[in-house]
Amino acid sequence: MGDSQYSFSLTTFSPSGKLVQIEHALTAVGSGQTSLGIKAANGVVIATEKKLPSILVDETSVQKIQILTPNIGVVYSGMGPDFRVLVRKSRKQAEQYHRLYKEPIPVTQLVRETAAVMQEFTQSGGVRPFGVSLLVAGYDDKGPQLYQVDPSGSYFSWKASAMGKNVSNAKTFLEKRYTDDMELDDAVHTAILTLKEGFEGQISGKNIEIGIIGADKKFRVLTSAEIDDYLAEVE
Amino acid sequence: MSKSAVDVPPMGGFNFDLCRRNDMLAKKGVNPPSFRKTGTTIVGIVFQDGIILGADTRATEGPIVCDKNCEKIHYMAPNIYCCGAGTAADTEAVTDMVSSQLQLHRYHTGRESRVITALTLLKKHLFNYQGYVSAALVLGGVDCTGPHLHTIYPHGSTDTLPFATMGSGSLAAMAIFESKYREGLNRDEGIKLVCEAICSGVFNDLGSGSNVDVCVITKGHKEYLRNHMLPNPRTYISSRGYTFPKKTEVLITKITPLKDKEVVIEGGDAMEE
Repeated sequence: MGDSQYSFSLTTFSPSGKLVQIEHALTAVGSGQTSLGIKAANGVVIATEKKLPSILVDETSVQKIQILTPNIGVVYSGMGPDFRVLVRKSRKQAEQYHRLYKEPIPVTQLVRETAAVMQEFTQSGGVRPFGVSLLVAGYDDKGPQLYQVDPSGSYFSWKASAMGKNVSNAKTFLEKRYTDDMELDDAVHTAILTLKEGFEGQISGKNIEIGIIGADKKFRVLTSAEIDDYLAEVE
Repeated sequence: MSKSAVDVPPMGGFNFDLCRRNDMLAKKGVNPPSFRKTGTTIVGIVFQDGIILGADTRATEGPIVCDKNCEKIHYMAPNIYCCGAGTAADTEAVTDMVSSQLQLHRYHTGRESRVITALTLLKKHLFNYQGYVSAALVLGGVDCTGPHLHTIYPHGSTDTLPFATMGSGSLAAMAIFESKYREGLNRDEGIKLVCEAICSGVFNDLGSGSNVDVCVITKGHKEYLRNHMLPNPRTYISSRGYTFPKKTEVLITKITPLKDKEVVIEGGDAMEE
């Protein structure tokens, strides 16, 4: 980066001190599909809507929630292709950490490195910021953790967070429903209810995705059958 | 050299017939091959349900045994393991690196790794380094296309075989395989054959020794039998322990200080002019 004609950054300050490109990136995130995450006492759950552009799309080929390491998973709101690039880079960084230290990468470290990549793209020549916000869910020695990473590269640890289209309603709902001593199953139910709030159409195991990580420290994406079971419990 | 028409019966002792020829070749620049011991016996076989890999556990530094129980069977993927002969650092580093690459590949494709993928990644790397990465490997695993066993040489060439041996003890082990291997062995027969081959290396090759490690890989399951056989136990430990009697009797004890001790008083009166 920086060795082409564009050796100047396209993300420049406005007179009011804002980086307009990042603001626009956040707008792109805000118009993406809703996703949310909840940190329970014994695990973390992340979930997202999976609205496909047409009924002709093979929904089994689309997976929005991705695994980064055996104990860390991630979901996004915003531009899918940008997410793919970040997932690839993060996986590589996690693997390099493991090669060097022979320990699984702690969640904070992976979030920090991913955020550093996102920040690079706001200060390099000829590139634009990523149009995604990430929700990283992991379980390591420090317990269950949930982080949100924004296009600017800033990251925060959350007890529960939402992003995308329905963010304000979802966050209000989560604020009301969240308790510190929630169990993982309760968290899954709460996540489903929150998604249901702003859902257009009939919610089912085929148009939402849920990923969980429990005390066994193994991240996995629930199958649509399992999601249907949880949905039946919620009804 | 003219061939003699009459067959002379062999006489006892060394036959120096070819010495003049060797001398002439050496003068022309063709030197006799040098021996490079890699100090290991590693083997692999294909049996009816999958692959069995075996290795000895001796690590040598020249003539010295530096590790009596090292691990020569390296993890590559949940369904692929690799035995390594040659420079220990090279085998460990290269298997570690390819194992990492396979893990990333698994994340990206969402599929189980194939043995041929590991093979290609390894041989590409080794060829790149033109044999300077001194790693001779026996790679085996079971994937969706079936069981596979390969050998990889330090320069990057590979073979696909039903039974394979590498290392300085490879000839001893191969002798066992060539006489006793047959297709369709079951698990116990296979493990027994592998142990026999490794033991043949352990007892007949100076570069191999100590214990036998075995790894059995089948579809969807693997068993790493570390120290499956211990044919070289320490037998010389005396159960009573050892007592070393004092050889020299102490007659007198006299301590002579080398320096006289001076007592220094701090904080005394300063010297006045």
